[in-house]
Amino acid sequence: MVGGWIWAPNISSAMSSFVSVGPSVSLFADANRLGRPEVAPVVRSCIFRVVDVGPDAAKMEPSAGYFILKAGSMQASVSAMVGKPEDSRSEFRTVLSAIKWGELATCIYAQDDRELCDPDNRAAMVEATTKFFAFAKQAEASKSSIPAGEARTIENFSDKLLDALKNHRRYGTLVAADFSSFAAPEIMRIMREEKETRDICKR
Amino acid sequence: MNFLKRAAFVLGGIFLGINLINYFVLGNSGDYLPGGQRMGEWKEAKIREACYPALEAPERDSLLPKLTSNEHGVDWRDLNRAKEITAALNCYLVTHSNAICERNNRAYIVDYINRYFAKFDEMIDTAKRYGESEMSTVRNLWDSPRNRVINAALMQDTSNGRLIKADFGWSVPAAMKPMLDRYKGATDNCPRA
Repeated sequence: MVGGWIWAPNISSAMSSFVSVGPSVSLFADANRLGRPEVAPVVRSCIFRVVDVGPDAAKMEPSAGYFILKAGSMQASVSAMVGKPEDSRSEFRTVLSAIKWGELATCIYAQDDRELCDPDNRAAMVEATTKFFAFAKQAEASKSSIPAGEARTIENFSDKLLDALKNHRRYGTLVAADFSSFAAPEIMRIMREEKETRDICKR
Repeated sequence: MNFLKRAAFVLGGIFLGINLINYFVLGNSGDYLPGGQRMGEWKEAKIREACYPALEAPERDSLLPKLTSNEHGVDWRDLNRAKEITAALNCYLVTHSNAICERNNRAYIVDYINRYFAKFDEMIDTAKRYGESEMSTVRNLWDSPRNRVINAALMQDTSNGRLIKADFGWSVPAAMKPMLDRYKGATDNCPRA
């Protein structure tokens, strides 16, 4: 009881940090809409452009590459969660995580629009987009400034992904329920404001 | 609620909680197999250590499960687990074919057989979402030369009475039920000390 009284403020702020980069996909989405991102065909096409494992890429399963990307960005999330004092290495990890997820999301959106009718591909798209915006926001909120080149890269990804989100909302490939309530406000604003004009997944 | 009922409720809850954690979280399903003359303590099984070398580099064994196509929905963790579990059971049943005659080893091997079939069932259930082609990929994965030798060893051990239905208790794998029923009553042909 005494410990809880003393540590409650720290625990509360740690939990709110965790929540801000929390679950990427909605726990309430229709189970048929979102599948397994790690085995998505679009991840198979894109992951080794984002995660550099050298010559091992030929022998490695794409789902293992996806796991490496998630594990690498988990370190940046955990640092934010425990309120680690910001240092240049943890800032670098956050910026790098934002860039990697942005690259993956951009690569996924560059595939044929109908690819995102597949539940696994859709789950990968939702996760990559959510994580990009979460890490971008975390990097922006940090005390030290992001190098200019990297800031521009993140801004470019942000613009491209917001356009892609608008298009896919109109195509019916994405709905608000696909994203968790912890998704970035920019994503939820687009999901709310844009309307479906046609359903490209309907055959 | 009087004091005794409350105490019983709390103790019952603690007992149930500990066992649920032991089974589902720690994965010690071997603790819930039947005991008796045939089945010993799985934690004392010497076959586990004896087979550690077989698990050191499963990627070097070309007879273990492998995927034949790049177009699949199998997660790398499931693929690795399929290889490990096959390598291990091959060692327990084929490489050391008499290990099952020792009761501690038998307890461990029976538990491992349950895990082997549970993994296969889990992967097939996941594959069902993707259709017949994916199910065929998973069946082919689990039809490697080592898997076929394991199936033959299971058939032989069942026909020789080294494995009987009672060894599995309430958790008989569905794939083993027909052969256990077929060879019901077979006498155990383990060498007598």
